[in-house]
Amino acid sequence: MASVDIVNVKKSFDRAEILRGVSVAIEDGEFVVLVGPSGCGKSTLLRMIAGLESVTGGEIRIGGDVVNDLQPRDRDIAMVFQNYALYPHMTVADNMAFSLKLRGVARPEIDARVKRAAEILGLTGYLARKPRHLSGGQRQRVAMGRAIVRDPRVFLFDEPLSNLDAKLRVAMRSEIKDLHQRLKTTMIYVTHDQIEAMTMADRIVVMREGAVEQIGGPLELYDAPSNLFVAGFIGSPAMNMLKGRLETGARTGFSAENGIFVPLPANAAPDGLVGRPLVLGIRPEHLRIAHEPSNGFEVVARIVEPTGSETQVTATAKGAEIISLFRERQAIRQGDAFSLEPILGHLFDATSGDRLATISI
Amino acid sequence: MKKNVVHEILFYLVVIFISLMVLFPFLWMLSSSFKTQTDIIAWPPKLLFTPTLQNYEKVFGEQDFLKYFINSTVVGGLAVGLSLVLGLPAAYSISRFTQRRLALFILLARLMPGISFLMPWYIIFSRLDLMDTYVALVLSHMLIALPIVVWIMSAYFNSIPVELEESAMVDGATRQYAFWAIILPMSGPGIITSVTLSFIFSWNNFMFSQVLSMEKTKTLPIAVYNFVSYAEVDWGGVMAAAVAIMAPAIVLTMIFQKFVVKGLTMGAVKG
Amino acid sequence: MRQPSFVERHLRVIFPLPAILFIALLMIFPIFYTLALSFTNWNLTSGMPMSFVGLRNFFRVFAEPRFHDAVWRTLSFTFLAVFFEAVLGTAIALILNRAFIGKGLAKLLLLLPLVATPVAVGIVFNLFYDPTIGLANWALSSLGLPQGLWVSDATSVLPSLVIVDVWQWTPMITLIVLAGLAGLSEEPFEAARVDGATPWQVLRHVTIPMVMPVILTAVILRLIDALKTFDIIFAMTGGGPGYASETLNIMGFKYSFEYFRMGQASVILIALFFFVLLCSLGIMKLRSSSEN
Ligand SMILES: Nc1ncnc2c1ncn2[C@@H]1O[C@H](COP(=O)(O)OP(=O)(O)OP(=O)(O)O)[C@@H](O)[C@H]1O
Ligand SMILES: [Mg+2]
Repeated sequence: MASVDIVNVKKSFDRAEILRGVSVAIEDGEFVVLVGPSGCGKSTLLRMIAGLESVTGGEIRIGGDVVNDLQPRDRDIAMVFQNYALYPHMTVADNMAFSLKLRGVARPEIDARVKRAAEILGLTGYLARKPRHLSGGQRQRVAMGRAIVRDPRVFLFDEPLSNLDAKLRVAMRSEIKDLHQRLKTTMIYVTHDQIEAMTMADRIVVMREGAVEQIGGPLELYDAPSNLFVAGFIGSPAMNMLKGRLETGARTGFSAENGIFVPLPANAAPDGLVGRPLVLGIRPEHLRIAHEPSNGFEVVARIVEPTGSETQVTATAKGAEIISLFRERQAIRQGDAFSLEPILGHLFDATSGDRLATISI
Repeated sequence: MKKNVVHEILFYLVVIFISLMVLFPFLWMLSSSFKTQTDIIAWPPKLLFTPTLQNYEKVFGEQDFLKYFINSTVVGGLAVGLSLVLGLPAAYSISRFTQRRLALFILLARLMPGISFLMPWYIIFSRLDLMDTYVALVLSHMLIALPIVVWIMSAYFNSIPVELEESAMVDGATRQYAFWAIILPMSGPGIITSVTLSFIFSWNNFMFSQVLSMEKTKTLPIAVYNFVSYAEVDWGGVMAAAVAIMAPAIVLTMIFQKFVVKGLTMGAVKG
Repeated sequence: MRQPSFVERHLRVIFPLPAILFIALLMIFPIFYTLALSFTNWNLTSGMPMSFVGLRNFFRVFAEPRFHDAVWRTLSFTFLAVFFEAVLGTAIALILNRAFIGKGLAKLLLLLPLVATPVAVGIVFNLFYDPTIGLANWALSSLGLPQGLWVSDATSVLPSLVIVDVWQWTPMITLIVLAGLAGLSEEPFEAARVDGATPWQVLRHVTIPMVMPVILTAVILRLIDALKTFDIIFAMTGGGPGYASETLNIMGFKYSFEYFRMGQASVILIALFFFVLLCSLGIMKLRSSSEN
């Protein structure tokens, strides 16, 4: 078990700068998820921690020791790859035993550890099989088993679930989480699926184009996204965004460029922001039906999707698409006109994207 | 419906015709090898005849065919074996470190006319007193086998996900050990392809052995060629010799058909 | 903490190094040796010391009609053989590119000429071509055609050799094109059929353009090998009758190992080398253009 410190790490391939100074301090025993759109450099960062890519600049420390120049085998880490990278010519047991053999662990000890890992992962009946005779989920477990027999200081996962079907993915998600509770080893987990990130992480690192956008707990990112990118990336369905300005005076509210006017209580609008170009972000579940139409803005329902537990309504207002999500059953049907009012919204600077204020009504 | 049937019959006739064209020289060779000299020079050519084994008896009895057979096998085997030793790491390096120029360099050995190195070899091997030795022959045949091994194996390694070595390296292996313990054991199909093809090409090689070998290390193609020169008119014996030399390559091809096709076509077809 | 070992740090050099050294020693060095010899008057048998003669070998060989004929013959043999191989090979591949009973067997048969020992193939064809007992003349006469002398006659020897090469190597093109056809995706064909194209139009406007790169690569590979054809010519005619089937490769061989005129032989080899290089550049160009 160990902490992992990533200090101003940079990476270039040829001339292209892929990581532009990334810093993350990961505590011992933490489950940290790196998340971000495709090509943002998550895998590259993870592979640098593993020692599979060289470090162009900055420092990586595991358990306090700088590992920049260490070979992967000397870092005492285990990694689970997206395609599992199982050795096709070895049985499940041999796959799991491989690293222990390399380390010169005694045979009885190897057998015991493999047996224990197999029990944890429910692979006991499959130890003598070759990987090609396993299902996708079982292969995924073998890949995990190979990592846990090692008892490494840090686990690294690169999108380990993305080759599984949706149902299995959900099941494995909780299994990995469960494993972490049990082993309490530091885990760094890469995904581009924000639901995976939200459900599994102690802390999430949101990356974009080789830089960290925000680091924080799942709910922290959700409740207080530090900028437009994080606000849009975290949460599903995504946050509604309206460009415009705050108005006070004759009426108080947010006047969007497309003509929507979102009324706000007089005391809710922060003074310093009036008149500046802003973006108002409202999560779908922070919209509710305004019984007093003057308290809200008018929309027309286009798609109504009830799932039983909640109802998602996609509506249009002056050409903009507004998504709202209701816990209670709603009698809205396609084509209905109704008014929506926000109960919580975020204000972002339109140019920098930084969050300036959160208003709660 | 009727048109379809006619179409099908026509198609199969064409296929049979093509097959016969391909097969005919083999069949004629085989049947002639069982004919007496009288039957062979009969006019018109005889399709029905009493088969005889005398040609084979002559080839294997009078001619020292077994020795040449062993020579060919030893030279081919050693050349292919050593080419694997040199070629597998080189192919791995080309594949994993994307060394395009190295690939071209080795491909050059496949493209250049053999005779342009043969003459200097002849001079050098004479000076070193290596003429008519296995050393000279094996070295020369390695120049046939090595490019085939590298060519086929680098493409094969490309098809193995690099995560396999990376995983082994994270698990505690050096890169060279991962190559040895992970990559090589799962490269069976590629190795079979390159071994089969390079062995056949070495087996069939005529020019290098013709110049570099004499009585002691003579390989089969030279023996067959000499057999013609000595026995200009003994067609039966010559055909028996031709059957004997082709049989091993053909048997290998039948056993490893899929691999041979892959090896022969992968140069032109990507992936 | 352990430092990576020397081997590990230099793996990308150490792994290919033995192969590079081997090829440098057995191929690159000899090629330069050949080049150097072309500027000397060395004759292996005369016992005279080697002396530098400048470009005299080049002038002498280039002035020889025998050399001109060999160049012309090499090129015509190559182009004739590869032309028929390309046309026949592609046609057969297009015919066989469907499911049918015995397809596996047909493909196995196609492999056989490719692995047959060329020297032995040459000898079998010599029996075919034998003017008095050969099947070739028997076939001609049963069709009521005049008999030929085949490889024994200066005018017919080259076409006769081309037939052997075509028999042996057409399957190579067929197999390559078949593999290429198998790798094509279905959609363009379905799209063309939906668009109302006749089978013939599909062939002309979809199939052939799509496998063209594969055909071209196969043709260039064949061109390179056909330029170097040695075994069947040497075994069947030895370059004869007279010099009537003497290609550059055969001529170079004779100058080297029959007349031992190493200097002049080198010039001939350089000429052959030049043509091969030209085709090789073609293949590399094709390869890099298909990569982009
Ligand atoms: N070996 C390499 N050489 C050059 N560029 C590379 C290399 N590896 C990655 N890149 C580039 O670095 C960028 C980041 O790649 P990376 O694989 O880290 O993305 P990612 O965030 O993991 O994306 P994904 O979610 O698609 O896996 C990409 O633009 C990629 O093209
Ligand atoms: Mg990735």
